[in-house]
Amino acid sequence: MVGIKDYESLYKNQWCPGCGNFGILEAMKDALVSLEILPEKLLIVSGIGQAAKTPHFLKCNMFHALHGRALPLATGAKLANHDLKILVNSGDGDCYGEGGNHFMHAIRRNVDLTLLVHNNKTYGLTKGQASPTSDFGMVTPMQPRGVISEPFNGLAVALALGAGFVARGFSGNREHLSRLIREGMQFKGFSLIDIMQPCVSFNRINTYNWYKKRAYDLFEEDYMPDDLENAMKLARQWGDRIPIGVLYRKEKQNFAKHIDVLNKGPLISQQYDPARLQAVLDA
Amino acid sequence: MSIDITVKIGGEAGQGIQTMGHMLALVCREAGLYLMAINDFESRIRGGHSFFQIRICDKPVQAPHHKVHLLVALNRETYDLHKGQLASGGRVIMDEIDGSGEGDLIALPFSELAKKAGGMIFANTVAAGACLALLGTPFELFKKVLSKQFGKKGADVLEKNYYAAELGYQVVKEVAFKWSFEWRADKPKGALMDGSKAIALGALAGDCRLAAFYPMSPATGIMTHLSLLSDRFPLIVEQVEDEIAAVNAIIGASFAGTRAMTSTSGGGFCLMTEGLGLAGITETPIVIVNAQRPGPATGLPTRTAQGDLHFVIRASQDEFPRFVFAPGMPDEAYEITSRAFHLSEKYQVPAIILIDQYLADSMYIAQKPYVAPERIERFIAQDDDMENPQQYKRFAVTSTGVSPRALPCAGKALVVISSDEHREDGHISEAIPDRIAMVDKRNAKVPFMIKEMNPPKEYYGESGTLLVGWGSTEGAVKEAVDRLRDEGSDIGCLNFVDLWPFPADAAVDALKKTKQFLMVEQNSTAQLGQLLREQTGFVHSGAILKYDGRPFYPNEIVDGVKKYVR
Ligand SMILES: Cc1ncc(C[n+]2csc(CCOP(=O)(O)OP(=O)(O)O)c2C)c(N)n1
Ligand code: SF4
Ligand SMILES: [Mg+2]
Repeated sequence: MVGIKDYESLYKNQWCPGCGNFGILEAMKDALVSLEILPEKLLIVSGIGQAAKTPHFLKCNMFHALHGRALPLATGAKLANHDLKILVNSGDGDCYGEGGNHFMHAIRRNVDLTLLVHNNKTYGLTKGQASPTSDFGMVTPMQPRGVISEPFNGLAVALALGAGFVARGFSGNREHLSRLIREGMQFKGFSLIDIMQPCVSFNRINTYNWYKKRAYDLFEEDYMPDDLENAMKLARQWGDRIPIGVLYRKEKQNFAKHIDVLNKGPLISQQYDPARLQAVLDA
Repeated sequence: MSIDITVKIGGEAGQGIQTMGHMLALVCREAGLYLMAINDFESRIRGGHSFFQIRICDKPVQAPHHKVHLLVALNRETYDLHKGQLASGGRVIMDEIDGSGEGDLIALPFSELAKKAGGMIFANTVAAGACLALLGTPFELFKKVLSKQFGKKGADVLEKNYYAAELGYQVVKEVAFKWSFEWRADKPKGALMDGSKAIALGALAGDCRLAAFYPMSPATGIMTHLSLLSDRFPLIVEQVEDEIAAVNAIIGASFAGTRAMTSTSGGGFCLMTEGLGLAGITETPIVIVNAQRPGPATGLPTRTAQGDLHFVIRASQDEFPRFVFAPGMPDEAYEITSRAFHLSEKYQVPAIILIDQYLADSMYIAQKPYVAPERIERFIAQDDDMENPQQYKRFAVTSTGVSPRALPCAGKALVVISSDEHREDGHISEAIPDRIAMVDKRNAKVPFMIKEMNPPKEYYGESGTLLVGWGSTEGAVKEAVDRLRDEGSDIGCLNFVDLWPFPADAAVDALKKTKQFLMVEQNSTAQLGQLLREQTGFVHSGAILKYDGRPFYPNEIVDGVKKYVR
């Protein structure tokens, strides 16, 4: 049996009181406990940012890597040992800005891992500059005349690239988010959960209340996430009403399954064979 | 009689120069000869000018020769560009439609004969036939190589190639050639090897299991070789979206427990530098091959250089230990690559192998059999090795600086790693004692790493003048030394292979014996010379530097030395 206690970290939390990241952390623990994944059987890979600090505040195996580079690192780890259960914690800047190229290609590869994008629509750790997902016109100390680019829509991009599991969560709805994480982790293939996450220090627009008023639950609407066109419409729905839930789900062969050598088991467990090498050297 | 013949095949990209050159190399190998061949080409797929230059010897040979005995001109331009390099009595064979008349020129009806043999695709076999006939190669030997090359393609293809070869032989039957020599049937002396292939094999001998890369000349060949072998080994070769992904992917794989590598050239290495630092601070073993080409930026994509030495020993911000090696020959590249994997894992530091286009793309006869290691020594800690796995600390401070390295999800021990500065347990820390302890811990490895470094290789090391170089120039420098000694000079050389951490004591020992030393490097500022001054206090009294993107020819070094030594 796995309990919430198993996931308690002794390491002191560093987030601002009231930060939306707490809701995500709790939802993660909740999902991990209900999936009965032991901390020693979980690997979290993260980039750099407030979001990327998440694994420090859990008890698990973790690699808190470079800004933007969590996905290729996680991909490498998964290739080495495809039995690993991998969660990736990333921010909107980390994932869609610095790591944008990796984001696109991780989707193409369909590596079996779950990506949580803590989308606070700002650069939290560097103190409130605009991020790729900041709304047009958002004023920050760095963008005093307002953001003059359109926001990046990670969900729509993921759908366009053929992602098999595309969801939006809200850190203020822990149970709902926990369910998304659970389903994402059970999904065989790349799963993206973009999470609306209030940043109480730097984003005064997209607050808890702002989201609460707008979020509506696709589970409650009996939405069937099997149609790409519908999913795309929902991914683009932003404003008075914002859908949360699984927008799209369709399993296809994941990356490791395309690699014949992995049929013999994870790379790390296969044997070095001097005779096999010598045969090649002598050829 | 000693044999030392150079054949140059020149033409446009796309004319099959390499295929024909490879054919000649195989014939020479089959006859038990030694050879050394360079590939000179432009960064384009069609047109332009390329050549393949093969030096054939009855003794081991490790550098190209500047004189050409037989020039195979697949177009007129080749003749015009290279006729000045002909040795006395040297000849040129060229298709008669490209011109005729000059004394050294043998105009032959290549196209006509190729058509007779079955089409223009046989032109190379016709030309190779003519070329080998002039050199005095027994026809049976060529047939043997052709059957190995084309046997799989069916009897018809093979017969047509035999016929094309015979037409080539016949057409020069009456032509006298001064440099023709007697071919004694002997056993092959070793495998036909280029630097790229040797490194790929060395990676397998280092038990590399993930090779992630982004294509970039001249580093791509390594990955091509590995890809061809990947179905026979527990090995994944993955072309990723960019070099940043490549280095981070191999860090992830290594962290998870397999050995991993990437290969790139300077521009890609630039993109990897932050990842290199990540491997540094997280103490994750990785191997990066940097196949140098002239830069900066795109530079000369298909040319050779040694301009990245300073860059790779210091690349990435702040300080952390790393290994840097620069093998001189494919045989050594094989050994160094497998050793790089071993040492990188033993010390939990990144290892960089510095080669260049010249070594990557040149062909040699391997001078010893390549031996697969009996077993791979791993440096991994398991729960059983720990008193209390629940208390495991990935960055525990030890006297050697090396902490027991557990793998994620392999037991009860949790592996916690952060690219932020951290405590022993891996969690972020900004506390002063933690910062100091971690820097000291990482640096504590250096004295042990230095003990692993081999001294520079000496060749007539007791001489009054030493030529000092590193990596792939070894062959040309040694040959220059031989020639100068034959002329009576008191000269020798030193070749550095193990470059970082710098084996300063060994360098002092080697340099203090000589009156003066000259640097021989393929860069414009004598980077190793600067390093020697910094690390040993010894100052070179001159430098022979070449940075035009082309490899050193021994005669250039001989001429360079004569400017300093009378
Ligand atoms: C290469 C690099 N560039 C810049 C930074 C500085 N930096 C750290 S976090 C961050 C942005 C964080 O934003 P986001 O990913 O949205 O995470 P958040 O803090 O909002 O959770 C930046 C720019 C860095 N660490 N590395
Ligand atoms: S700055 Fe924003 S995102 Fe970061 S911890 Fe504070 S509230 Fe959370
Ligand atoms: Mg953010």
